[in-house]
Amino acid sequence: MRAYSADLYRYAWWLCRDRHLAEDLVQEAFARGWTAWAGLRDLSQAKAWLITILRNEYARGITRKQIEMCKDELTEADMPAMPSFEAGLETAQIVALLPETYREPLLLQVLGGFSCAEIAAMIGTSEGAVMTRLTRARQTLRQHYADAGKRRMAK
Amino acid sequence: MNCLEFHRQKLADPRRLSTEAQAHVHGCASCTAFARSVDETEHGLEHALATPVPDGLADRIILRSRTPNRARRVWALAASVALAAPFAIVFLGKSGRPRDDYARLAIEHVVMEPESFTTERNADAGAFGALVESAGGTLRAPLGTLRYIRLCPLEDGTCWHIVLDTPDGLATLIIVPGRTLSAMQVASTGGWSALARPTPRGYYAVVTTSSQATSRLDRLISERIEWNA
Repeated sequence: MRAYSADLYRYAWWLCRDRHLAEDLVQEAFARGWTAWAGLRDLSQAKAWLITILRNEYARGITRKQIEMCKDELTEADMPAMPSFEAGLETAQIVALLPETYREPLLLQVLGGFSCAEIAAMIGTSEGAVMTRLTRARQTLRQHYADAGKRRMAK
Repeated sequence: MNCLEFHRQKLADPRRLSTEAQAHVHGCASCTAFARSVDETEHGLEHALATPVPDGLADRIILRSRTPNRARRVWALAASVALAAPFAIVFLGKSGRPRDDYARLAIEHVVMEPESFTTERNADAGAFGALVESAGGTLRAPLGTLRYIRLCPLEDGTCWHIVLDTPDGLATLIIVPGRTLSAMQVASTGGWSALARPTPRGYYAVVTTSSQATSRLDRLISERIEWNA
């Protein structure tokens, strides 16, 4: 439990961006995990399993519906507008502005260290769709950095 | 593998390149440069996402899991909400919303983000001037030493959370664009004092540990920020 609590907390925090709620989600995920521990066949998958429990708990208890993950093909128009004054500010804020469908696989990969195939299994979609979302998420971040760099050069 | 396929694979999972991708990058200068640039972005991303984990998290989880009856805790919580409800209704009044809710919201926000007082973040005067401008104001002179600027979620929108070092100590300024506040609000709770004041494009709130310090910073804001209609 100690090995996974920090990773689970960070993932939970990025889902809800509330430290108390994040802690409750981690608590609940471990509580459910302990109850169902016998059902875990492969111990090497414990972290992915707990993350999936946490994600479901968040969807069930907080949003009262499944997290919307059905939009595979988003266009650039779906990207949030970046106000110009954000240019010099942090990556974290840009991540927070990413559409949920891009942000979640990115969090699972960067924070959880999961592969595209593992993420696909966790969020119930294809590996190709996960690769597309991750590519677009990173392209958005890189575009933001490029725009910020141009603005700095112009000043 | 061509360069396009390499780019796609690198962006999808920078740390797990296939054997073909690794072979390609060794023989391609432009993809080597691209890979280096993606790795730099990734490093920044890892750093940005590493939210601080509260001290004693694992111990608290273990402790709570040993509490014998979870159902009892749920009932206790429900009971406390039920007992508090009549007082809340009186507090809210006939309108259904308290008259100081934006000021109270600012205090709640500060309390929920204690790291704002212990962390230096984006303490950049240019960024502060730009965000004041985006909120419809012009900064004429500094309000204090900047320590922390962050775009935070607030209810169903966002706000700018700024911490300043002032002669009265650390003070928080919260700028909320796009929300209508008809008149000034003040609130005081848990040792915090807050004041919320409308601006042409939203409102701002000042939170400090005393009503005097809050008033002083509010006065300074009125002297040093010109709000454009």
